[in-house]
Order: sequence, then C-alpha cells, then structure tokens
Amino acid sequence: MPSLKNIETEAPPEQPARAVFDTGFYILALSALAAGVLVVVLKGWDRALEIAQDEMMFMAVLAPKIAAGMFIAATLPLLLPRDKVAIWIGRESGMRGLLLAAFAGAAIPGGPAMTFPLAASFGLVGADVGAIMAFVSSWALLSLNRTLIWEFSFLPVDLVWWRVLLCLPFPILIGLAARAVFGGRDA
Amino acid sequence: MNILIGTVLLGTVALWLYWKLPNAEWRAAGMANAWRMAQFTAPRIVVALLGAGFFAELLPPEQVRALFGEGAGVSGVLLAIALGPITPGGAFVSFAVGAAALKAGATSSLVVTYVTSWSLFSASRFLAYELPLMGRQLALRRLLLCLPVPFLIAGAAHIV
Repeated sequence: MPSLKNIETEAPPEQPARAVFDTGFYILALSALAAGVLVVVLKGWDRALEIAQDEMMFMAVLAPKIAAGMFIAATLPLLLPRDKVAIWIGRESGMRGLLLAAFAGAAIPGGPAMTFPLAASFGLVGADVGAIMAFVSSWALLSLNRTLIWEFSFLPVDLVWWRVLLCLPFPILIGLAARAVFGGRDA
Repeated sequence: MNILIGTVLLGTVALWLYWKLPNAEWRAAGMANAWRMAQFTAPRIVVALLGAGFFAELLPPEQVRALFGEGAGVSGVLLAIALGPITPGGAFVSFAVGAAALKAGATSSLVVTYVTSWSLFSASRFLAYELPLMGRQLALRRLLLCLPVPFLIAGAAHIV
C-alpha cells in the first residue's frame, strides 16, 4: 500500500476537466424525453408530473450519499496517484498479482475515464495481460463505490448480495483465462 | 434503510479521507475535484431518474411477466443479456431499469443477469471509453474473455 505520508510536501496533482454535455448525455436525455412524452400522451399530465415529483424526492433522499461517494471518488485518485497503483500492481505476478489487481479494480473508485487509462498503464510497468483483465473485469463487475451509491439504492439488498457473490470469482477466472489464451503472445 | 446505511458508510469514509488529506491545499483540490465531478454527474442523474420513472410507468406488467417472469426460460436469459449492452447512460440507468422490471414481475435471476450483462458490455462505455483508451487489441480480448460470464451467472442464479 503506498504511504499517504510522503505527499505532505507535494502539491496535489491536477485533474483533467471533462465536457459536461456529450453524446452519451444527449442519448440519455432524448430517451428520457421520449418516455416522458409517451407517459403524458398515454396517462396524462397529472401522472407525468406525479412521477417527476416522486423521482425528484428520491433524488433528494439520495443526495447526501451521492455527495459523499463523489467526494471519495474525487479525492482518492489524488491520494493514490495512478503511477503508484500501476507500479504496485506491475511488480506482482502469479496468483498474488491477479488477487491484487482484482482487489484494486473493486476498491478504487472512478468512472471509465479514469479506470481504462489506469488499466492500460499497467502493461507499461510490467503487469501481464491476466492482471489487466482481472482489474478491468473486477471494476466492471464489483466496483464498490458503484454498488454502495447506486445498486443498493435501487435494487433489493438480497439481490445485490447474490449478484456480488456470484460475480466474485470471475475477475480471477478471467485473469487466468487471459493468461492461458493470450499470455504467451506479444508480451 | 439501505440508503441510510450506505449514506452513513460513505459519509464516514468521505470524512476520514478529508481528515487524511495533508493540508488546506489538498483539501481545496479534493473539493474542487468533487465539484467538477458533481457538475458532470448531476445533470445525468436528474435526467436518468426522470427517464427511469417514466420508463417504469410504460412497462406493461403482463409482457414483462411473460418475457422475464417465472418460466421465461432460455429466451428470457438471451433477451436479458441482449438488453444489457444497449442500455444508455451510467450505472443508475441500468439499476433503475432492473428495479422497474423487478416491480413489474421479472425474476431476480434475470435482473441479476441483465445487470451483469450491462456491467460487462455497456456499448456506450465500450465505444466511448474502452476502445479508444485501451486500444483495439486489449478491448476486444476483454470482450471475448467476458462473453461467457452473463450466461454462467444466469445459470448459477437460476440454480440458487
């Protein structure tokens, strides 16, 4: 685990800005608008407004949790610079390397804009294809931040636990499969 | 109750991190970063929650039960897996869709299958982030290796 102490004399790293409105947002907005128009046409304005009100209430209930989750996701990458994480995973190999990569994938918060470049950088510092695949699939299947903020908010607790338990072995299995299938080639 | 537990848990971790930051400059950088993230995420959450609410209202329960209810069989599994990649937007959209389907009568195992398929194969995430950031070779290898996972999850979820 990289120490948090050695940063005291350094300045915090700059984080890149992102465009707020991109294609993904417009697709989402258009889908929501289309569904909203359909509800108005089929069920009337009153029902549509009632739904909108309920959803905004839900949003207000979720807000403190989302704010805390976003602070974690925004701050942890500052404390755990990606080059340190990459070196830390890159120097491990064997089963230890896979376990570490899978653990890091689930534990390090962040969206795709942060996770994929981090995974790609593992290769540069010595991690094998198995560790890279274990990291990415663990992030996709088991991201702790996403499960705590979103999954537990929408889905029943037992369903979430079952999904997590069922998915738990897969990052390691995918890492092993990656080594077996792609390990020998173009290392 | 779930929301309360999650809020307390994440709030504690956030406070611990804030306290762990070495000085005022770092705290300011953390807050500025969180604020940038909020500006990016907030419009998406609002739009996604509204869309999910409208979408849930439009789901016809009889059809949901027929396609994804008890006795849906293999076609239900295939459809749940196929819907994963084409779900637009972030995590909240897929979880909201899953919750709406569950309320309308879909089985837990098919909702788990759908969420798993989305989490591995979201097309918007693959095209916008994974392909350009990881490169074609790594991205396609990851896709190939993960392909069996939703099917195995569906089988296992069906048994338990």
